Amino acid sequence: MTLRADHVAGAAFVVFGAAIIAASGDLPFGQLSMPGSGFLPKIVASLMIVFGLALVARARESQAYADVSWSDGKHAAMVTAITAAAIALYTVLGFLITMVLMIVALLVAIERRRLLYAVAYALLVAVTTYAAFEYLLKTPMPESPFSY
Amino acid sequence: METTLLSLLHGFSVALAPSNIWYAFLGCLVGTLVGVLPGIGPLSGISILLPVTFGLNATQAVIMLAGIYYGSQYGGSTTSILMRIPGEASSVMTCIDGNAMAKKGRAGAALCIAAVGSWLAGTFGVIVLTIVAPPLATIALKFGPPEYTALLVVGLIFLAYMSSTSLVRTLLMASLGLMFGMIGIDNMTGHFRYSFDLAELGDGVGIVPVAVGLFGLGEILSTPSQKVVGEVIAPKLRELLPSRQEWKESVMPIGRGSLLGFIIGIIPGSAHIISSFLSYALERRLSAHPEQFGKGAVAGVAGPESANNAASTGAFVPMLALGIPTGPVPAVLMGALMVHGVSPGPQLVTEHRDVFWGFVASMYVGNLMLLALNLPLVSLFVSVLRIPYSYLYPLIIMFCIVGVYEVNHSIVDVWIMMIMGLLGYALRKFNFDPAPLVLGLVIAPILEQSLRQSLIMSNGNYMIFFNRPIALSLLLVSAGLLALSAYAFVRNQADWRTRLAEAEAGEAE
Repeated sequence: MTLRADHVAGAAFVVFGAAIIAASGDLPFGQLSMPGSGFLPKIVASLMIVFGLALVARARESQAYADVSWSDGKHAAMVTAITAAAIALYTVLGFLITMVLMIVALLVAIERRRLLYAVAYALLVAVTTYAAFEYLLKTPMPESPFSY
Repeated sequence: METTLLSLLHGFSVALAPSNIWYAFLGCLVGTLVGVLPGIGPLSGISILLPVTFGLNATQAVIMLAGIYYGSQYGGSTTSILMRIPGEASSVMTCIDGNAMAKKGRAGAALCIAAVGSWLAGTFGVIVLTIVAPPLATIALKFGPPEYTALLVVGLIFLAYMSSTSLVRTLLMASLGLMFGMIGIDNMTGHFRYSFDLAELGDGVGIVPVAVGLFGLGEILSTPSQKVVGEVIAPKLRELLPSRQEWKESVMPIGRGSLLGFIIGIIPGSAHIISSFLSYALERRLSAHPEQFGKGAVAGVAGPESANNAASTGAFVPMLALGIPTGPVPAVLMGALMVHGVSPGPQLVTEHRDVFWGFVASMYVGNLMLLALNLPLVSLFVSVLRIPYSYLYPLIIMFCIVGVYEVNHSIVDVWIMMIMGLLGYALRKFNFDPAPLVLGLVIAPILEQSLRQSLIMSNGNYMIFFNRPIALSLLLVSAGLLALSAYAFVRNQADWRTRLAEAEAGEAE
């Protein structure tokens, strides 16, 4: 039997639904006249399992899992890693430093742009955005340890 | 009627205040750019810019955000016609004949017909909205929890039925959205649900991190920059006017597209996308020269462009009158109103007259602005397309992070956005449309509360949903739609939704 994309997707939803029900153990289901906080989550999780099984049952209509293209996977992984690092540093280094570093990293490491152009572009957009939020929109941005 | 006209006049006094005109203009301009740029849809555009509206009052905020929405419908046609790249999903059909017209040297005429059609359809939509929404809101005031529960159920089923992916896939996405919507403190019992000791999750998962993650970051993750290339055909200003024959050929498609689009817009689902597909199919069927479709038929541009703009306006009817979003964009707009302390729904017309009528009147003004913006400035928008995507997407990621963080000043929200971005990437790989997830997230608290209130009212007797005529009618509609879908599922038939999905996939390639 060929493993299909919908076999994987359907199974993932079945597992997720089951995990929700397992995690809802301490939530009271209540009674029909006074439904508890676990009432709707358990119903929705059960529906998710049913729909997941329906997807698995009709999986032969989907493409083979081996044919799912992951050619953009490297790009996605690198963007994810750089963005995750920026999020981790955002409240530590503040908006300006973090965003300049993130944009430079994306342009140089992924897009292979020249470092000088990347730095100039990153500084331009980050400083403009910072000024727009801080002074025009009066919305405070996270500050760096150097207070800017 | 007289009251409606007086209220509309009051709305114009609000909408024509200089500050409100400025925000309508800003929304239309940004919306056009959002529509022009491939990779940023109206949903991510609105979500990313939501925090920018925090310093504004509710009227200004909704005027600006709605301007982004319908502005993006206008802007989407530019890339479709000039590059054969749909700036956003509802412009897919315009690519076919719009780009064929451009290749024949009629790019200016195609752009003009698209802009005028969008304006006429948008204005038609607002006129009907003005007439329909207030009486609908009056009727909705009579709705109790059972009617709301039934209405939300029928909305979800309609969404699944109208979806161009399968019923099961849409219901799975809606269920996932409902699950996310139930994270946080249960309002009725005070229990913490799935918050994993994170205080930030006590208030639940916000719509902004989810929408920005799924549609903004998710799109970037699945779009490597070398994929975004294309040749731009730049029309000259003097070439913008269509010939007398082209005007003649576009009149009826604009009329039909406006009507069809508005009706579909009211129905839950990705209305503006479906409406453009159906309008294209209708025009081809009615045309005396169907063989011209695909080779530069004027009706193939005029119909779908009018339909998607009318649908965008139609989608505001249930949002404003009933407080129920029919798609992810109205859902985010509802979220925006709630952030500003205004609850959309039947009370909006009476309790927040400035917001409701100011918003409606601003759409008349906004549509006129868009016509003025899109035609003379088309070469400026075309030049935006020359910015390399590799420089553009780091900017979008920056706005995603800033936008999400600024809503609650919470880094947990930004991490949620990141997770949603990865989820959006995975969902695209497995052909899931994430839009119903956002809708499920928004309606989860309303559905849960109305269901539990109904059961408390009836002392646990589920017959309450069948004893009340409105609730019963709505549930019968749901049952009918489910039966239709189940029939197609069991018989393994390819119905109109399958054909729509095939056409969409074929054109997107």
